[in-house]
Amino acid sequence: MSGLVLATMIGVAFGWTLERAGLGSARKLVGQFYLRDLTVFKVMFSAIVTAMLGAFWLSRLGIIDLGQIYLPETFIGPQLAGGLVFGIGFVVAGLCPGTSCVAAATGRVDGVATVFGMFMGVLATGLFLPRFAAFYASTPRGAFTLPEAFHLPYGTVVLLIALVALGGFTLAERIEGRR
Amino acid sequence: MIPARAARPYANPYYAGIALGLVLLASFVLTGRGLGASGAFASTASGVVHAVSPSTAAANFYFSRYLADGARPWRDWLVFELAGVMVGAWLSARLAGRLRATVERGPRVTSLVRLVLATAGGGAMGLGAVFARGCTSGQALTGGALLSVGSWLFVLGAFAAGYTAAPFLRRAWQ
Amino acid sequence: MTRLQVLGAGAFGLAALAAFVGTPVPARPGEIDVNQLAGMIAREEDHVTAIDLAGWIKDRKPGLRVIDVRPVEAFDDFHLPTAESVPLPSISHAAFKTTDTLVLYSDGGAHAAQGWVLLRSLGYRHVYFLRGGLGEWLDDVMNPVIPATAAPDAKEVFKRTVELSLYFGGRPTVGDRPAATPTSQRIEAMKRRGC
Repeated sequence: MSGLVLATMIGVAFGWTLERAGLGSARKLVGQFYLRDLTVFKVMFSAIVTAMLGAFWLSRLGIIDLGQIYLPETFIGPQLAGGLVFGIGFVVAGLCPGTSCVAAATGRVDGVATVFGMFMGVLATGLFLPRFAAFYASTPRGAFTLPEAFHLPYGTVVLLIALVALGGFTLAERIEGRR
Repeated sequence: MIPARAARPYANPYYAGIALGLVLLASFVLTGRGLGASGAFASTASGVVHAVSPSTAAANFYFSRYLADGARPWRDWLVFELAGVMVGAWLSARLAGRLRATVERGPRVTSLVRLVLATAGGGAMGLGAVFARGCTSGQALTGGALLSVGSWLFVLGAFAAGYTAAPFLRRAWQ
Repeated sequence: MTRLQVLGAGAFGLAALAAFVGTPVPARPGEIDVNQLAGMIAREEDHVTAIDLAGWIKDRKPGLRVIDVRPVEAFDDFHLPTAESVPLPSISHAAFKTTDTLVLYSDGGAHAAQGWVLLRSLGYRHVYFLRGGLGEWLDDVMNPVIPATAAPDAKEVFKRTVELSLYFGGRPTVGDRPAATPTSQRIEAMKRRGC
């Protein structure tokens, strides 16, 4: 039971942070794709780098066991294809599943519409999924990490991602500065 | 409700991102799992299908997962997490004077068009999230931080598709 | 520098240090009491026979964990019933209970024996290995042979072996053991039989 209480508390922190960053606003989110407002990139990659470094060092210091944390399984084809479709939907709606809940909770009716659309989309896809079961289950790689894929040490990949993120932030500041 | 002109400005995105990363990290440490969102939609949909037609739900490999061993799909980790998201978002907006019943849309479309687009976009995201086993919260953030190959492919695909589709939707946003 | 630039530099520093350190797995030092281990090895308290193991698996010995220390590909190709794959390089962060009975095996037994030393150094007490490796399992459990000329009490003991062998889909025979063939070939032959 405390698991669900914890889930709610983590969710509260999650929702609070998203709203603070302005990610409950579809116009702000979409600004990413018109190179007008790169908040999405900055928030997302700051979060990824923070959690990535935190997880690495907490594990190294023996405080957590990275091997015990649930790693989503990789399915190369479906996840790439799913990403493409998701990206299109994102630009059309201006919100993603998490931020649509933020928007809905703060009064945005478009957030409510997105939530409804998402629910119907998941429902319909689920109902028809058996017909596409083969593609859905194709190209599985199990728990497959970038270090394994590129035969690089874990720490090296961490550094590469951090460099890409930091470089991206510098670039983002320049792009926004020019407007 | 507090009038819009009293609304506070948004937080610095880098600090917000770091805070978000720390929330994700806290989730790893306290629960052994990361964040998510679309999964809650899946388990809710399973509950609905089961309520309407239990045999359909049981026969469908996607929905039956959420109904295994008599599991109640509403008492799902992600459902409670998303409920928390809404509470947290509401609290933050309330304190910052950003609560507003409105339809956020580009200047050149009507509210109705905007709502239709939001629904349609949501539908596409639902489709994509099912095949990708997640969305920006579960795959991009969580899987990204854990260096999962599939998650990074999802992120790259989503951004690539977003930038490609954006020019065609200019009318909706600008 | 602005506060953000300081944070960025900090992130870069932590990431660079991570690259230097290489792995997020904590370094676990082990302790080897040489005298104790040498004594156990001499008294043969370190290993079990394939028949012992077969009996343990069949009787569902509580806390039994059969550990395959070979690479994952070898495990996927063929592994003992109820075995788990823990390739030798990752043995330091395998999470076993100290109350479990761990039985390690490899193709010939050498890597399993080395794994025995490593696990004992990490503090596990109930660790054994299959001295003859997979080959011993194939010989003594899957294809046990008793010469027709064996003594009656030997044949009596063999009955238990036959019972175990049949349980695992083996083929006990009476007669002469055929010339030794490499383990991999015998695995292939057994797979073709469809066991």
